[in-house]
Amino acid sequence: MTQLLLFNVTNGLIIGAFYVLMALGLSLILNLSNVINFAHGGFLVIGGYIAYTITPYIGFWGALLLAPPLTAIIGLIVERVLIRPLYGRDPLYSLLLTFGLAFMIEDGTRFIWGPQGKPVTIPPFLAQPLSNDLFFITGYRLFMVAVVMIAVALLFVLLRYTRLGVRIRAGTLDLETVAALGINVQMLRSLNFAVGIFLAGLSGVLAAGQLGLEPTMGTGLLMPSFIAIIVGGIGSLPGTLAGGLLIGVASGLTAVFLPAASEAVIYVLMAVVLLLRPRGLFGEEGMMT
Amino acid sequence: MNVLEIKNVTKRFGNLVAVRDVSLEVGKGELCAIIGPNGAGKTTFFNLISGFFPPTAGSIAFDGRDITRLATHERVTLGMARTFQITEIFPELTVFQNVRIAAEVAGGYRLRPWINRSEAAQIHSQVEDTLQLVSLAAKADRLVGELSHGDQRAAEIAMALALKPHLLLLDEPTAGMGDQETYQITQLIRRLHRDSNYTIVLIEHDMRVVFHLADRICVLDRGQMLAQGTPQEIAANEIVQAAYLGNAA
Amino acid sequence: MNSAQTRKLITLTAIWAVLLFAPFWMLPLGGYTALATRVLVLGLAAMSLNFLLGFTGVLSFGHAAYFGLGAYGAGLTLKFLAPSTPLALVLGMLLGGVCGALLGALIVRRRGVYFAMVTIAFGQVFYYIAFQWSSLTGGDDGLRGFSRQPIDFGLFQIDILSNANNFYYFVLFCFALMVGVMGYILRSPFGRTMIAIRENERRSRFLGIPVERHIWIAFTLSCFFMGFAGALYALVNNFADPRGLHYSQSGDFVMMAVMGGMRSFWGPLLGAAVFVVLQDYLSSVTVNWMSFVGLLFVLVVLFFPRGLLGFIQRSKA
Repeated sequence: MTQLLLFNVTNGLIIGAFYVLMALGLSLILNLSNVINFAHGGFLVIGGYIAYTITPYIGFWGALLLAPPLTAIIGLIVERVLIRPLYGRDPLYSLLLTFGLAFMIEDGTRFIWGPQGKPVTIPPFLAQPLSNDLFFITGYRLFMVAVVMIAVALLFVLLRYTRLGVRIRAGTLDLETVAALGINVQMLRSLNFAVGIFLAGLSGVLAAGQLGLEPTMGTGLLMPSFIAIIVGGIGSLPGTLAGGLLIGVASGLTAVFLPAASEAVIYVLMAVVLLLRPRGLFGEEGMMT
Repeated sequence: MNVLEIKNVTKRFGNLVAVRDVSLEVGKGELCAIIGPNGAGKTTFFNLISGFFPPTAGSIAFDGRDITRLATHERVTLGMARTFQITEIFPELTVFQNVRIAAEVAGGYRLRPWINRSEAAQIHSQVEDTLQLVSLAAKADRLVGELSHGDQRAAEIAMALALKPHLLLLDEPTAGMGDQETYQITQLIRRLHRDSNYTIVLIEHDMRVVFHLADRICVLDRGQMLAQGTPQEIAANEIVQAAYLGNAA
Repeated sequence: MNSAQTRKLITLTAIWAVLLFAPFWMLPLGGYTALATRVLVLGLAAMSLNFLLGFTGVLSFGHAAYFGLGAYGAGLTLKFLAPSTPLALVLGMLLGGVCGALLGALIVRRRGVYFAMVTIAFGQVFYYIAFQWSSLTGGDDGLRGFSRQPIDFGLFQIDILSNANNFYYFVLFCFALMVGVMGYILRSPFGRTMIAIRENERRSRFLGIPVERHIWIAFTLSCFFMGFAGALYALVNNFADPRGLHYSQSGDFVMMAVMGGMRSFWGPLLGAAVFVVLQDYLSSVTVNWMSFVGLLFVLVVLFFPRGLLGFIQRSKA
């Protein structure tokens, strides 16, 4: 029983780590640009398939380093060409556009790489379980959690200590003032978008090693990421972090006691949080949302 | 009985005290102008009266009833109407439609999925009378968004009047206007005050307008009430001269 | 009668004439009556959504949930309760509307993208219920084992099951009823407060409109209409599909409204017609129809944001 519990909590944490990476990217874009990026899951899939394609040539480590920035570049192009004309218009339009884009990416990857799951080979030493008792904790799972932790830590360092990060945070609070200070808001939005997509690409590479690749996998992660943001409190990145881990662990725990409800539980959690704290766990009261 | 009685209101935003211990009484039929330099807390004070947010301390009574904690729309229902520094209208509707919405809400029809002929006719004539009053009758079928700035302001005032208010709050009614438009709006406010006997509180920067219209002037400075009195008293007040009128003139 | 009113009357006559004679003119053009029935039902759904989206200015991206609830409500009624088509429609509508009313109360304080996000997430709740509760709903396979019943007038019955034309006219009658109610509300004082909220929320508040309450009412009404459309859809297919509740279905509805023209009353019907016919055609000629539908979204947003009717109106002006 303890083992089962531990297994599912670990599972929950790992899934939660994915939610966190996805949701942080979504949150960054939402907070600064008021865009709900429905194609975020699509970028995760792109990241995964880029990794799958380049692994045979440069190995897993090379792919891990190269696939996320390549995904971010694709994101940058998409932002520049498709999303930029929509800033300042009703947010409905960017929502619909990214919604359509998600369709195209899913179908496009199926067209290029086929509908079957593709495995990405991970280094053998990472594939080993830690011990016989803890057979379910492979090195790769620990490695994933570590990478996510590093990525999140770097993101927060970026936001707190670099000029770009400070500007992003300032722009999130009051974009007009930032523009009045002579900062290039378009550039800021582009870079911010790229950072968000980088995180999606990174999740894609990590997910490819763990779950194998399927064109639909991004869509499946999208809704929990939304909920992570809502539960954590829209507008708050620490909230998103907490929200992602919380719903990950909650669904892991539910899987022990009531497997059928493991997916439904995150929705219940969201309803409860919104009833008790209408602005989410870390949402600030009085914020005009 | 006074229409408006404000007792010792204070509004804090974090460490900033935007309005500090201000009291004000406005009698029926009175026109009271609030003046003061930028950042004096005039608009915050207005927002407290109209219920944008509740005061940190103090109380507000309207027609003898405590409204300190009432929501905006409840205050409007009690008879308080307001215009804004930056005109708030329904730009894609016609002048007539703008004012009709106000008249229907004031008539208690806002939740009604139907309206019968006689009710509609009554609303119709009320809207027309209001438009006549603000000299917009000829432009009733134009989209408000296409009107001149002065006419948009007049339309906003018409909407406020259609609510049949006991108190009219006007936030810088002549802001951003040329001399001609300023003159027209000033005449309109004067008519509303003198002929139709409306009780009015307004914020205004243009001293010519203030001294032309006001029965009483209140001077706010750094969130506090510096002085209040008749235009003659304020013009003669040395503190006000030093703090405000001197460098504004 | 002035020229604007005359034009309006002509347009209305034309729309109803096209709808009334659809079974006759569609066949020579290569259509089939069942396609017209689907357009009508999905058009009603898109118009129901647009009641909120276009006329109150509130972006719900989870409206498929109430559509789907209507479908399950109708299906379950026919399967377990009573073999009555009218009862199925009423109960389907109630299920969608009541669930919408409850959820609406929880979320009306949100605006813009945040409202959209919360509606998506809550919409998925109903999707999961329909998906997981297999013993009642049939789970992934959907709800089967029911069919629409003849309309019984006591003296005579109208067969709407096997006669496609009869069914089309039955659906058209229901459609006319709902659209009539919608139009009536929009022209009432309450309807005008909805438009006021869309145009300027702050001004509405300062006219004495309790904005949250009015948005909640508009949301709830829209969910009732949506539930009714969903119930009709269950009758069309004799089947209720969990995917009908999914957010991607919501996206389709929003697309129909935008593509036709959100600011016009009839726009969403036109959008639905184009969308359904296009999807029908694309899925018959290519396996990659998803890409084309996605591309359609992108193109409409970038080049026709005011929709077909908005585009026509603008080029006339």
